Amino acid sequence: MSRTFDRYASIIFLLIGVFFIVESRKIAATSYGSNVGPDIFPIGLGILLILLSIKLFIEALKSKQETGGEKPDYKRFFIIFAAAVLYVVLLEPLGYVITTFLFLLIGFQVLERGGWLKSIVIAAAFSFGVYYIFVGLLQGSLPGFPV
Amino acid sequence: MDTVQFLMDGFGVAMQWQNLAFAFFGVLIGTAVGVLPGIGPMSGVALLIPITATLTSGLDPQSAAASSIILLAGVYYGAMYGGSTTSILLNTPGESSSVVTALDGYQMARQGRAGAALSISAIGSFVAGIVSLLGLTLLAKPLSELALSFGPAEYFSLMLLGLCAVSGLAGSSITKALIMTVAGLLLATIGMDNVSGVSRFTYDNPYLYSGLEFLTVAVGLFALGEVFRTILDRDNGDGKTAKVGRILPTKQDMKESTGPIVRGSLLGFFIGVLPGAGATLASFFSYIAEKKISKRPEEFGHGAIAGVAAPESANNGASGGAMIPLLTMGIPGSGTTAILMGALIMYNVQPGPLLFEDNPQVAWGLIASMFIGNVMLLVLNMPLVKVFAKVIDTPAKYLLPVIVAISIFGVYAVQFNIFDLALLLACGLLGYFLTKNDYPVAPLVLALVLGPMIENNMRRALTSSNGDFSVFVTSPVSLIFLLIGALWISIPLIMKMRGRSVIINEED
Repeated sequence: MSRTFDRYASIIFLLIGVFFIVESRKIAATSYGSNVGPDIFPIGLGILLILLSIKLFIEALKSKQETGGEKPDYKRFFIIFAAAVLYVVLLEPLGYVITTFLFLLIGFQVLERGGWLKSIVIAAAFSFGVYYIFVGLLQGSLPGFPV
Repeated sequence: MDTVQFLMDGFGVAMQWQNLAFAFFGVLIGTAVGVLPGIGPMSGVALLIPITATLTSGLDPQSAAASSIILLAGVYYGAMYGGSTTSILLNTPGESSSVVTALDGYQMARQGRAGAALSISAIGSFVAGIVSLLGLTLLAKPLSELALSFGPAEYFSLMLLGLCAVSGLAGSSITKALIMTVAGLLLATIGMDNVSGVSRFTYDNPYLYSGLEFLTVAVGLFALGEVFRTILDRDNGDGKTAKVGRILPTKQDMKESTGPIVRGSLLGFFIGVLPGAGATLASFFSYIAEKKISKRPEEFGHGAIAGVAAPESANNGASGGAMIPLLTMGIPGSGTTAILMGALIMYNVQPGPLLFEDNPQVAWGLIASMFIGNVMLLVLNMPLVKVFAKVIDTPAKYLLPVIVAISIFGVYAVQFNIFDLALLLACGLLGYFLTKNDYPVAPLVLALVLGPMIENNMRRALTSSNGDFSVFVTSPVSLIFLLIGALWISIPLIMKMRGRSVIINEED
């Protein structure tokens, strides 16, 4: 697992290095009153990144294949991650309290089923609590409720 | 004015009631962070930055900066106290810096001496905290005066040395650590170039003009990455907590641990001052040292109290020592101090030699508050250790989603846009995959914070030398820094080639 990851990672880092070099060359090279422009630093770093990723690629080829341990728990992770993405997307349209409440409820139940009452109480306490302390007491600003 | 006068003024700041409250909450949350397995000092501090930012929004900038840094630093050294609790009671260290504490601490707990182990580690942490603060107080002025004499070339080399040190000791592969450092420096170039005003890599995205927000990246990589890892690895940490028992150590315990505490404090402090080393290495080295000089080395690993006292003193000494390069030179030596530095910069307070002249309120207020905070921690940890032991039982079921919700709330409250939230989730994913495959994320965050300063100093030095790169090696101070940096990277490599195992510094 680690070996394959390192190989892909080295290629991605190489591409990032190339990308930064190519894009740096498009930056207007002149810098007022100085012959050291804004492109030198990223270009130098890009070259360094390319060299390092080549080194990583070679190291990844040499290293032994590792046997992966227990298979990660993708199912629960994906549900929670998807819930987090929805949370972020819906935060402004639906408001803070509703989205936070739903996200927490889903999160609690996905990690361990059961105890609905406790989950609902904690999720409600957190979402209302944070909203009213932040907006009411600290005069902060959060998206409220859908109008 | 001399140091004593400054320190007294600092106490004046730290004794203000709101700062006492901030210090108290900082150390309280820090202890909890140290106790909770899924969340380390780095994510703890990162998560609290937005919250302190809102709490202090009504104060004037100087006091706001002082108050928040007092709270955040409290979390940092508070976590060093709390980290020992799980090591001793559960045999699962809450922090990497408490790994060695588990060796003897858990054995002591099994023999029914958990209370003594916990109180000795609290006492050791306290002594070490005070020792390192005295060191900080004494060294602050001379070191910042030294740093003031540096020009841009020296600064550039010094920061490079800091990055080299952190990369050289982070993770199992130096190549990977260096890649993370360079990637962090590259990410730091995104946004408006503050020398020429040209925008770089922004592609007309208005959110990118001010650069990638350090806070978002840090919270995503550390806090969310850690949550994702816990979910994916089913790391729910079900263990049996040992009974605390009698808290006060016996006379015999005190006698046996006095030496280790003093040695551990001093060793920890000096290791902490070195960039890149930090608390984990300090606790490790002090454990080995105690074992070497002990008259009964065979007791180590079977519940020797010296094996708890020394590493616990050392890791707290190191966290105090690590504040020295941060405050006096503006060079953070570890992930957590990098985050503290990012927080200071958010308040327009630039850590470094000028800090003591421009913002004495912040610098000395912080130092004084650390004295007070350590006393609070001692008081908190001796009688309340049983309460904190209960914190371990917080079910992951509730903890993990709440950490995600706090991260999202925190980033949104400060940045107020969805772009940063998307970046936060992306960084969380990235943090999980990188850490899982031994790519250390601390160097990336450190590089992100130092990047703009490194670049500015490099360009300033090059501008005054008309683009001649030899300016970095003709200045003797700069040359020495560069040589040390090169050694720091190459010595572990050479040792590895000779087949020696190298001690590495896990995140701290």
